Amino acid sequence: MSRTRQLMAGLRDALGSAEPLPRPEPLPAIPAPPARVYTPRPEKRPFAAEAAKHTTALVGIGHVGTRYATDVVLQFQAELAVAHGAVAALLPDDWAQQNGFVPLASRVTNHREFLLRPDLGRRLDDASLEALRRNCTRGPDVQVIVADGLSAVACMGSGKDLYEAVARACQARGLTVGTPVCARFARVWLEDEIGQEVGAKVAMILLGERPGLGTGDGLSAYVVYDPRLGKTDGDRNMISNIHARGMPIDEAAQRLAALASSMIEQRTSGVALDLARLGLAGERTPRPPQVRQKLVNAPDGVGR
Amino acid sequence: MILEPITPNVLSVRRLPHADPALVRAYGGDPAKHTSLGLVTVDQDDPTYVALDECTKHAPVDVIFAKSFYAGSAHASGKLSGEILGVIGAADPESIDQALDALVRCLAHDACFYDADGKRTITVFPHVIASLGEYLSKEAGLAPGDPMAYLVAPPIEATIGLDAALKAAEVRAVRVMTPPTETNFAAAWLTGTLDECEAAAVAYAAAVVDVAGAPRR
Repeated sequence: MSRTRQLMAGLRDALGSAEPLPRPEPLPAIPAPPARVYTPRPEKRPFAAEAAKHTTALVGIGHVGTRYATDVVLQFQAELAVAHGAVAALLPDDWAQQNGFVPLASRVTNHREFLLRPDLGRRLDDASLEALRRNCTRGPDVQVIVADGLSAVACMGSGKDLYEAVARACQARGLTVGTPVCARFARVWLEDEIGQEVGAKVAMILLGERPGLGTGDGLSAYVVYDPRLGKTDGDRNMISNIHARGMPIDEAAQRLAALASSMIEQRTSGVALDLARLGLAGERTPRPPQVRQKLVNAPDGVGR
Repeated sequence: MILEPITPNVLSVRRLPHADPALVRAYGGDPAKHTSLGLVTVDQDDPTYVALDECTKHAPVDVIFAKSFYAGSAHASGKLSGEILGVIGAADPESIDQALDALVRCLAHDACFYDADGKRTITVFPHVIASLGEYLSKEAGLAPGDPMAYLVAPPIEATIGLDAALKAAEVRAVRVMTPPTETNFAAAWLTGTLDECEAAAVAYAAAVVDVAGAPRR
């Protein structure tokens, strides 16, 4: 504003012309707008309704007016929060020792670096390398590694159970299993260095997988034959969604043991592995459809 | 509302990129220097003098002609005449464009008359120029960059206002235009430090408002 205009505004105030305006006339009562209540419309198209039975994806969820129903939105937000929480969770320092694992760590120093530097998560730090050489039996058939991966929640939840089931299944097939180790801030390829260091025929890492909507507790298993640095994803076989609503732990353990013994028999893994020769335990039967976990209850009268 | 700004209306803005030398000479310019002209008419004369001065700070232009019309814009000869014709001259049309932009901006946001009685029947122009340009400094006999209070009001209000302004601040009257000017107002140019000029302008406006509210005390 120009200086002269400021001066005149100041003078106007001083002369009392800027006194508060008189109260406006009270408004007459405003009639309430006609209530627009949208009734929820469940999905009517048979295809979508049928598809919704086979997936936890957001299909066949119906609508209210032009929007999602409140319970659908709340459920979505809650599931997203579960996923965020799983990524943010940290594996406690002493978890490995308390559960009877040899504690190892990658070269990552903090959680943020873990998320930003996958390359550091694929190599052991010097102390871990030393601990591995000192504490672990050399030359097992299968070296199993439990790790936090992208979901420490999943690792803490079912990592130990899966490890024990896998170890039992492998031993039942006559395979020797290495010293149990647990790696912190680990990426999948860390199994290469660990397996190479202990001289295992097969390395198998069980780690929390990248959380999806509502599944923060899923584990994945990656299996590689003749582990050494430089193996690629083409050399690995994997099973994902190992959790209560996906593949149960026992079934996963049977399949992982079958994979390991088949790798030793065929002396290869990954794309080159002939899955037709896995045997009964390897055959995939159609899985029952996943069921969505109800995380939130919409208040009465809201949504559906 | 008292002391509400009354924004001037720019009634016409035209350019003569290459004016005839005879015309330039007749309007007080130097044909060797002023090949391009810019012309404006506005319905408030004193804000336009200030704006013409302002535009000499923004571009290498000279104000070659600026005159108020008799009895003001209420008695104009046509709807584009307003109260003043201002003519600026420069060596090239780009300078004219820049100067006219600055001039119109000044009229829109800075210089304007103010309502002195709440009904717009009495108006006052208590303008403070912080830093004079080439045009008004020459007219006032001051140096470019000096502060100046440019005070205008109708005859009786202006007379009482000038007295109040001179008493309220350490200012010196550079020029006093007694009534009637062409538009039947009265004006005064005062100088001093910027603070004193501002105090004088405020005192002047307060006195004009006072007279407007109580003409027979």
